Amino acid sequence: MVKKQKVKISKLERRNYKWIYLFLLPSLLIFLIFYLQPIITVFYTSLTKWDGFNTPVFIGLKNYMDMFTNDAFRISLKNILLWSLIAGTLHVGFGVLVAFILYHKPKGWKFTRAVFMVPNVISAAAWAMIYRFIFNDDMGILNNIIRKINPDFHIQWFYESPYAFWAVTFTWLFYAVIVTLIVLNDLMAIPEELTEAAKVDGATGWQITRMIHLPLCRNAIGTGVICSITSRVAMYEQIALTTAGGPGDDTMNLPIILVKAIQDMKYGYANANGVIMFILGLIILAIVNRVFKMNESVY
Amino acid sequence: MEKMKKKIIKIFMYTVMIFTIIVSVFPIIWVIMSAFKTNAQILSSPFSLPTSIKFDAFVYIFEKYNFVQYFINSALICVVSTAASLVIFAMGGYVIAKFRFPGKSLIFALFTITLLVPAQSKAQPLFSLVMKLNLYDNIWGVTLVYLSMGLAMSMFILKSTFMAIPKSLDEAATLDGAGFFTIFWKINFPLAKSGLATAGILMFLNNWNEYFYASLLTSSDKNRTLPLALQFFTESFSYDYTKLFAALTIVVLPGILLYVCAQEQVQASVAASGVKG
Repeated sequence: MVKKQKVKISKLERRNYKWIYLFLLPSLLIFLIFYLQPIITVFYTSLTKWDGFNTPVFIGLKNYMDMFTNDAFRISLKNILLWSLIAGTLHVGFGVLVAFILYHKPKGWKFTRAVFMVPNVISAAAWAMIYRFIFNDDMGILNNIIRKINPDFHIQWFYESPYAFWAVTFTWLFYAVIVTLIVLNDLMAIPEELTEAAKVDGATGWQITRMIHLPLCRNAIGTGVICSITSRVAMYEQIALTTAGGPGDDTMNLPIILVKAIQDMKYGYANANGVIMFILGLIILAIVNRVFKMNESVY
Repeated sequence: MEKMKKKIIKIFMYTVMIFTIIVSVFPIIWVIMSAFKTNAQILSSPFSLPTSIKFDAFVYIFEKYNFVQYFINSALICVVSTAASLVIFAMGGYVIAKFRFPGKSLIFALFTITLLVPAQSKAQPLFSLVMKLNLYDNIWGVTLVYLSMGLAMSMFILKSTFMAIPKSLDEAATLDGAGFFTIFWKINFPLAKSGLATAGILMFLNNWNEYFYASLLTSSDKNRTLPLALQFFTESFSYDYTKLFAALTIVVLPGILLYVCAQEQVQASVAASGVKG
């Protein structure tokens, strides 16, 4: 009896196959056209010299060799490493700190949470532009404040080495609302009884935070670290609209090099850059997963 | 002693909160205020409130630039791409959540692994694709690329949404003679409202603010989106700060207003985006 019913259901299901695959088709097409085909193209043509019109000429690893001997690329890697470290520590740390503060629901916590989101609903392009004005020597608010104390102060934050790197860093450093929201979400899901039980056992507020709350939102923090580091690898507007990679190559990043290579019709070289971005993403994911033991359940 | 400690913690908490509020809104308030000042006031007294509310700079910008056009472009691109991809991904997420069929886990794995592909790394092939389709410098070319952007995240969200809708509803409808499409469109789609809103808000926000592909795939003024427009007026009135600030205000304001209307949902959506981990 039971067996018969099982067969019957799967027959019914099989009758649905036509519909099922029809429903999947649009998503599959998007995957094939906008993900699989581009990724294959990127990997294959990164081994060629190609201007987009003539057939790609296979040149082995030459694009990669060129890249690793190129100063702009080497500085980009150094920048990504430093920016990733800052993102993974200070940036995420600030987001987590705000989450823990808001979790205790001080007066005005909802307002703070709502306002913290505002820089993220504005385009990164506009935000970069706002910082270009803030750091402007002439009318920028920062230098005007400093000049109240030291009237002779003049620094072009985005155009002078070594300030440019830190000016670019500042445009995203404190805007960690995504980390805050993800962590806060996990914190609020922690059963009340756990905290209560710890209190009964005589744990102090700081002990509860450190020994119970912090480990329980490990996955959320890990996700936050991945999100913020991968967006450093892909950071484009914050650089293109402020320093454009300068002064010299001080604030270079892979997407800036990639766009320039496309404009110069060096498609093979552009795609070698794409491959490196892709691999960097995977490395970051692997490291963070390891550090935060993200695949293990927290409870 | 204990009281003292509590006080210090309280002071620390409020200091961090006030700092957060200042870094988040002060730059925007400064920009909006400066749009109402003269050049001389911007330079001499950056903190003061504007002495009079004059909309001259705004009028000038609306006359000189196609801001209405940029806004329409942004809105069209975002609404069409978000709505279309929402329906497409909902169909995919629905069958993955509710049916068994060969290749199911492979397909879901492929869809979600796309989360790891940095959008810019595919720039050249997508650029060539749009060129080949003759959609370069056309808002529909941008729309097409945006259509694909939320694939992984939307699949995560929508799959779990549809899984939470009880199967008994589908079975009851089948008994009443409803077909496959009716069950999806009339029963499951409306019940998936919360997941659809989450995925839709995340995609809309991304598309509304997207800059990289918009700048790569368009060139002429009439196809510009709002985020893209910024780059061009810094070049055209480099020392006319009032107008620069006015232009920046115009670009930033629609997004903020939208957010104010739907802030609870936007925050919930962003928080939910982390659950995928």
